[in-house]
Amino acid sequence: MEKPAARMDIRQADGRTAVIDIRGDVTAASESVLMSAYDEAAQQGARRLVLNFSGLEYMNSGGIGMLVTLLVRANRQHHQLAAFGLSHHYREIFELTRLDEAIAIYDNERAALAGPAGQGRAS
Amino acid sequence: MSMIAHPAPRRLASFALASVPGNERVALDQVAASVAALNLAPDRLNRLKTAVAEATMNAIEHGNGRRPDLAVGIEVLQSGAEVVVTITDHGGRNDEGWSEDQAEIPDLARKLEGQQDPRGWGLFLIRHMVDAMDVTTDGEYRTVRLTIQIGPAPQGPVSGTCVPGAP
Repeated sequence: MEKPAARMDIRQADGRTAVIDIRGDVTAASESVLMSAYDEAAQQGARRLVLNFSGLEYMNSGGIGMLVTLLVRANRQHHQLAAFGLSHHYREIFELTRLDEAIAIYDNERAALAGPAGQGRAS
Repeated sequence: MSMIAHPAPRRLASFALASVPGNERVALDQVAASVAALNLAPDRLNRLKTAVAEATMNAIEHGNGRRPDLAVGIEVLQSGAEVVVTITDHGGRNDEGWSEDQAEIPDLARKLEGQQDPRGWGLFLIRHMVDAMDVTTDGEYRTVRLTIQIGPAPQGPVSGTCVPGAP
């Protein structure tokens, strides 16, 4: 099996929000790493998870499928997902796949942490 | 009768990779290096790289069944104002991974409702990243041909379906 080439670190922004810093490749091989990060953040009480893609090097269709799986889990547990740091190319792919309608996309971390009530929603 | 002369395609690269998952990254890097002198717009180059990676991954997984002894052949050509990348595997006698009839159009809303597999975005992505894609077979071999214009990028992505419960 392909080895995961991703590292995902969790930062608590506040009691209910956690940031997952994604570095490297988001592919099907990184599913266990992402799901572990999600579980850990949820166990720490986070209800809103912000995915930081600033360190993303490569994402493929397997990675998109993995994000859909993450969305299914988050929806079941009534958790919100948001993201920032996507390059123009990957933001385009989020739009193409409609992931941007299920994962709120922001221009930067500050806007993402401000949340839906903030001014940061990307156009 | 007048005739328009078309320049012969110019080969920019030709190489083969073992069918090992992860080699799609090698493919996209080598294709990107081979077209560097053409100065494609960054968005266009990124689209080509994504399409090449997805098509190569399909060739590795479906065409060659992840058998390291079977090679994926990749050729990069410049034909006039177009870049053409061909990706050849040993899946000529089956249509797994490329069948238009069997490929379900991915729908995020249906995936979130459990009515579609979360995966299955590869062919969809390829089709939207390049200007043309066609698949041909010749006996044992199957070749996917990706074409992208060297000129300006097309307008934004196509519309899809709405996602219920979106934030």
